[in-house]
Amino acid sequence: MTSVLTQPSTTPYKVADIHLSDWGRKEISVAEHEMPGLMSIRRKYAPGKPLAGVRITGSLHMTIQTAVLIETLVELGASVRWASCNIFSTQDHAAAAIAQAGVPVFAWKGESLEEYWWCTYQALSHPGGRGPQLVVDDGGDVTLLLHKGYELENGSDWVNTKSDSHEEDVIKGLLKSVHAEDPKRWHDIVAEWRGVSEETTTGVHRLYKMQQEGALLVPAINVNDSVT
Amino acid sequence: MAGKVAVVCGYGDVGKGSAQSLRGMGARVIVTEVDPINALQAAMEGYEVKTIEDTLGVGDIYVTCTGNVDIITLESIAGMKDQAIVCNIGHFDNEIQVDRLNQAPGVVRMNIKPQVDMFTFPDGHSIYLLAEGRLVNLGCATGHPSFVMSNSFANQTLAQIDLWRKKDEYAVGVYTLPKYLDEEVARLHLEKIGVKLTTLTQRQADYIGVPVEGPYKPDSYRY
Repeated sequence: MTSVLTQPSTTPYKVADIHLSDWGRKEISVAEHEMPGLMSIRRKYAPGKPLAGVRITGSLHMTIQTAVLIETLVELGASVRWASCNIFSTQDHAAAAIAQAGVPVFAWKGESLEEYWWCTYQALSHPGGRGPQLVVDDGGDVTLLLHKGYELENGSDWVNTKSDSHEEDVIKGLLKSVHAEDPKRWHDIVAEWRGVSEETTTGVHRLYKMQQEGALLVPAINVNDSVT
Repeated sequence: MAGKVAVVCGYGDVGKGSAQSLRGMGARVIVTEVDPINALQAAMEGYEVKTIEDTLGVGDIYVTCTGNVDIITLESIAGMKDQAIVCNIGHFDNEIQVDRLNQAPGVVRMNIKPQVDMFTFPDGHSIYLLAEGRLVNLGCATGHPSFVMSNSFANQTLAQIDLWRKKDEYAVGVYTLPKYLDEEVARLHLEKIGVKLTTLTQRQADYIGVPVEGPYKPDSYRY
């Protein structure tokens, strides 16, 4: 792994093909009619802008439905950056439409693991060298990166241990590169990080485990165990 | 999928949905489970419950939905029926031993199309692996319908608002959203699908000890 991986993106987004944005926009319009929960939240909360200026990083399948979620957060005032939480789950026309709308999104269908974690790091890297104040997570990969980076700066040797998988090697490589460039990066981010909402069982499992171990750094809302 | 034998590994929320969906398309569904409660639920829903070993040579389609590791081992795959389809719908790609499959001596991988690979074993039988063992419903399809995701994403949005609004009150920890918000999210979706709610009378509300406007169930209630 080279340090190139951690450099800020030279473009405001990275998607498969920005020309797919019209198609994506049409499907987003169709989906809005089928997403009454999100649309009524927009109507109710958008005027008050309860998330005005809040920096949000999302790591959740970049689909048409997620596009409606992203645009809801934007309407509530948030400054949003996004990546997918799976290398195959992005719908490229949805990502293109979100990029065209001016939201920095880093996601395409068929990422390599190196690209996947680069995308995750780009989504975390808000302008001015800052990180997210809130995280929307699905599976807990952003939460994992923030915790592992923070622990590394506290002296954890995890990045030098033997990995169970290639993906673990990629994560460790990324953390080492970031650490070499800025040994306070994760502490600076965590100082302003105020919480995470987690979408799925696996991510919730990780959160409870971190809570048990006393490692959890922020309040977390388990959305998975809402009935709806 | 009419007539095919589908094996669903894990009968939690995802397994229940997968089994129901496969049955709806005519598959004969077998469930594998470690938890006696879920196994009983599956059996009482009319599914056969077996071990994965008992399904080898019979199963046409395998779906892992456990959130655990090593559910379908290389040895299981080696014993499967010719042309079996193997996929995972759990969050991570470690439910099927894909790395071992890729490195198995004498096993030849051929890509059929994006996210569909055929693996042929030295004895001549082949299996198809979907989405390299990653989340198949988003790797090979487009995930849940918008209406379903609207529920979950409404909760995400309310959680983000709550985390920010109460950022100085929340202690570090894991929380769930309160039941009244759960009921609110459900309410927001009723009109779209033509649902008309019945309203409790005051006498009925008093009888079960809840407010007329909810919440209607204790937190321990299982829907």
